[in-house]
Amino acid sequence: MSAHGFKSVYMAASVVGAALGCYLISLNVASERAKLEAVEEKIVLAQRDIRVLQTEIGTRGRLAQLERWNARFIRLSAPSADQFVEGGFQLAALVRPSKRPAIEAPVVLAAAPAGQSLTRPITTSDADDTPPPAVAKAADPAELLHAASYSRPAPVVQKKPAKPELTAAVKPLKSATADPLAPLPLPAASAKAGAPKTSPAKLKDSNAAR
Amino acid sequence: MNAPTPALVARPERLRLVGQRRQVLAVMHQRLMFAMVVYGGIIALIVLRILWLAAFGDHAGRKEGVTALVPARGDIVDREGQPLARTIDAWTISLHPQKIIGNKLELARTLAGLMPEKDEAAYFALLKSDKTFFYLRRRAPPQLVQAINAIGEPGLALYREPDRLYPQTSLAAHVVGYTDVDGNGMAGAERAFDDRLSNPAVRGQPLELSISNRIQQALEGELEEAVAKFSAVGAAGVIMDIHTGEVLALTSLPQLNPNVAGQGSPEARFNRATLGVYELGSTFKPFTVAMAMDAGIIKSFGKMYNCPNELHVANRTINDTHPFGRACSVAEIMKESSNIGSAQIADQLGSERQKEFLKKMGFLDPIAIELKERGRTLTPGNQWNQIERMTVGYGHGIAVTPLHLASGYATLFNGGIYRPATILKVDRDHPAGKGHRVFSEETSYKMRALLRLVVTEGTGKKADAPGYRVGGKTGSAEKYYNRSLLVTTFAGVFPMEEPRYVIVVMLDEPNATPETFGFRTAGWNVAPVVSKTISRIAPMLGVRPDKRREPNMAEVLPFIRTESEH
Repeated sequence: MSAHGFKSVYMAASVVGAALGCYLISLNVASERAKLEAVEEKIVLAQRDIRVLQTEIGTRGRLAQLERWNARFIRLSAPSADQFVEGGFQLAALVRPSKRPAIEAPVVLAAAPAGQSLTRPITTSDADDTPPPAVAKAADPAELLHAASYSRPAPVVQKKPAKPELTAAVKPLKSATADPLAPLPLPAASAKAGAPKTSPAKLKDSNAAR
Repeated sequence: MNAPTPALVARPERLRLVGQRRQVLAVMHQRLMFAMVVYGGIIALIVLRILWLAAFGDHAGRKEGVTALVPARGDIVDREGQPLARTIDAWTISLHPQKIIGNKLELARTLAGLMPEKDEAAYFALLKSDKTFFYLRRRAPPQLVQAINAIGEPGLALYREPDRLYPQTSLAAHVVGYTDVDGNGMAGAERAFDDRLSNPAVRGQPLELSISNRIQQALEGELEEAVAKFSAVGAAGVIMDIHTGEVLALTSLPQLNPNVAGQGSPEARFNRATLGVYELGSTFKPFTVAMAMDAGIIKSFGKMYNCPNELHVANRTINDTHPFGRACSVAEIMKESSNIGSAQIADQLGSERQKEFLKKMGFLDPIAIELKERGRTLTPGNQWNQIERMTVGYGHGIAVTPLHLASGYATLFNGGIYRPATILKVDRDHPAGKGHRVFSEETSYKMRALLRLVVTEGTGKKADAPGYRVGGKTGSAEKYYNRSLLVTTFAGVFPMEEPRYVIVVMLDEPNATPETFGFRTAGWNVAPVVSKTISRIAPMLGVRPDKRREPNMAEVLPFIRTESEH
């Protein structure tokens, strides 16, 4: 009899428990949803800000303004028909060094010290009549052998001299490419379809600007 | 009998009282019961509602409709997606004179310092006014808003309201149009697509125009320079894709800044490219020749016409700027832009056929485009007799818009099919307009060489952009109300051996300069604009310059007599 009486109480308790559980879950879901909505709202606000900023940048950098800057300072002009190349081969042909008769070029040994004489014989044209002394030095095979075997310990003391060398090497490089937007010394000459050597870079510039 | 008997009277009274009490009690019980049921019902309802809300309801802080950014009015972008018109929230400064608590004179002085468009007295008058509301500034810059806020006057209200902004300012102003202060489209695409832009269902998606910002800027830049150089009162320019009818650039000068459209002059608000109609002169001659070819009158460009120094028709005299004084071929007529020759071709064609061709090209109707600013063309109408057809043959006596002309050239060179012009980008959602054939494919093909000849040998030499194979025709027409004023036009197509784009440039009343040696005809002022514009835009349009490619010039060159021969 008593078990019977308690059964209904258990039933009621379990129903209440289940309802409470359901309620807690739904509450949890609702709060999660609220958080999500807050994030979504933040996204929308951020998008709105992005739009405003984009609009501002677009307005400040509008094409009419860019054209005005171009007319005054940058002075890029439309590329002429000659500045277009057919392909990689023609591009390579444009930067090929001019041919020079190399009859007098002295023989260079493959084992010659790299820094000294590798560049000089190539650039030596027929105008340079005196034979370079470096070649005469390099002709001694015993010296070459000696230099090759003793060049290894040199990197041990690289710490101090290396740094000034590095900066010395960087500096001229920097000044050569400094400020590409700076007014050119001869804007009118460079803006036109210039010499074939400069045209690939020019072409790139003017295309990017359009 | 009449004497009252108390016992007999009192009893029924008491009895009645008891009966009444019982009745009253019963009613009270009933009422109490009813109140309890109502009370319980209400409580049950509330409980149920709370349970329902707990189970399925939304929480209190829920915000609706913020999950996506839908602007108050749709964006307008160009074909590459660059914005041309946007709606952003701008600060508005307003004044409520009733709510002012500070010293009004002091405040007027401060306001005049911050916003110098009105003086101190005017501000003071506003502050003392009986009205409740004034706009002091719409679209106020942030610094000004900060300064106004710092005054701390409750009568000065600051709030944000959606505002239409055109980031590219005057670029393509006549295509994009502008809105009034309440955001209703007043001109251009803003007016033509007002429903689409304000419809909440679709305004989240930007409206894509066929305009290309960069091409538009190139055309505007070059035209502006020409207008300044030749002191012209105005100009118009159109660049179109001849196969789809998409308008890539359309401009009308003087410029209009749609951000402050109200400040623009009526002249600036007038769209010369679609609303203004002009007699476009010799640019019509290619149509005359093509019509005659299609009608079987001209079978080869070698067909000869008698070209005297003057032609007298119906009390009028037709002149040439470069009179031949001999027989001349069709190729020569086109090269030297001979009115006399063209008039004879048109005469052979006849009024009916000429009218029919013009009708098919859309020259007798307002231009087919989405814009609402469309001009009615002026034609001879019912008076289409010999002299009329002759003058129409060389582009006089008929006034059309520059966009008509561009559309006509597109028809002539895309293989002979007329397509309505459109300012919407042609893609899957928006296919090109339905076309109909006007000229035969062969005519269209043969005309290429003829128009290329005009640029290589004839009046349009200055329009040539080396490598881009420009073909086209110059036109200089006198204004009908003052013959000393000119409208100069160049209609060109490139690349000529496989036409893809048409460009029409028009200058309104250009003057001569020392550089043009006193000339003010089209070959001297608009042709260079075309050349410069094409060299700028062709690489963007993917047209490769190639100096070795040309249309088949063997069609025309044999029929040109060189100067040394005569």
